[in-house]
Amino acid sequence: MKNGKYILRLTVTLLLITAVVAGLLGFVNYLTEDKIAAGQREKAKNAMQEVLPAENYEPLEVSAEGINAAYRADDLGYVVDVTVNGFGGAINMMVGIDADGRVAGVSIVSHSETASLGANCTREDFRTQFSGAEGTLAVVKDGGTIEALTGATVTSRAVTSGVNLALEFVKGVQ
Amino acid sequence: MSFKKQLKDGLLTNNPVLSQLLGMCSTMAITTTLFNGIGMGLSVMVILICSNVVISLLRKVIPDKIRIAAYIVVIAGFVTMVDLLLKAYVPALSESLGVFIPLIVVNCIILGRAEAFASKHGVLASAADGLTQGIGYTAALVVMCIIREFLGSGTFGKGVFGAGSFGATDGIRILPEQYPALLVILPVGGFLTLGCLIAFTQWLNRRIAQKEAQKEAVE
Repeated sequence: MKNGKYILRLTVTLLLITAVVAGLLGFVNYLTEDKIAAGQREKAKNAMQEVLPAENYEPLEVSAEGINAAYRADDLGYVVDVTVNGFGGAINMMVGIDADGRVAGVSIVSHSETASLGANCTREDFRTQFSGAEGTLAVVKDGGTIEALTGATVTSRAVTSGVNLALEFVKGVQ
Repeated sequence: MSFKKQLKDGLLTNNPVLSQLLGMCSTMAITTTLFNGIGMGLSVMVILICSNVVISLLRKVIPDKIRIAAYIVVIAGFVTMVDLLLKAYVPALSESLGVFIPLIVVNCIILGRAEAFASKHGVLASAADGLTQGIGYTAALVVMCIIREFLGSGTFGKGVFGAGSFGATDGIRILPEQYPALLVILPVGGFLTLGCLIAFTQWLNRRIAQKEAQKEAVE
């Protein structure tokens, strides 16, 4: 009987600790939830404004793999939200495509690439290479025109493939 | 136990990274820019202090058999709170450190200090232990960051100083862009830098011990 009491004590103690921690976590989540969601919305909106500034973004129906969302930016063109696999994980980016089907701008929303190597994909001199491009793009190593980042061919290829996805998607919509 | 001795322990003689060799994974992974190092160090310090205090308070309540499970629940709770708070208020840091914030749960420094110190000492001493070990961890990270950033990117204070938005600044360029050794930024460079730092700390610790022994012999 003594043993049973001991086991009960172990169980109840652990249950109490987990219950208190869970309660506190719920509270912190409640405090931060809105702020986190607002921050993410803000970020996505800023990225859209950066690649193709427009008044309204009207969401389009999407079913292609790798494309999270797409918007018609007034009659200026389209903004496509793409996720591709980079070197260190997913790279989320916004690609603006103008009404002529040319790239208007590329913005990296989030990534987990190596600092100082793949992380340089957020740099402007890399991203602006895509502006005005159309058709199917490739990095120089693969016979294309996109100058890959030093020591980060995988990341450069990933971003290029993301831009291609967006171009292809817009071609299908137009 | 005096705070001064604890501080010396945390920084040198019992430094969590350089002497106890705990928490190597995150140390190797995130020490590529100063911003990451400071952010990670402070996050771990806050979690370490909180978990040490709570575990010290509960040390007589928690039965021995389930202590590890109980510690992990407490630690995971604090880590998740810090993760949520960073996401809400310092999104730049949260993005830059990515998965390594949630992974603090399994950072053995925290569980190690809970088991080795907080479960045997009072609340104040445990809080001081969390603070001093946290300082030691942060110091080790910052030194690693400065060395790796300088040799690997040729800059100082990426994310903290220089032009650009907070968390994504360019840093102060010291070496021209074509000279830095990319190798140092890669995991290989992490191992090399850490190895040299550990060797240096061991040498320093031995010298300190020798000097103290000499002093005692004279007295």
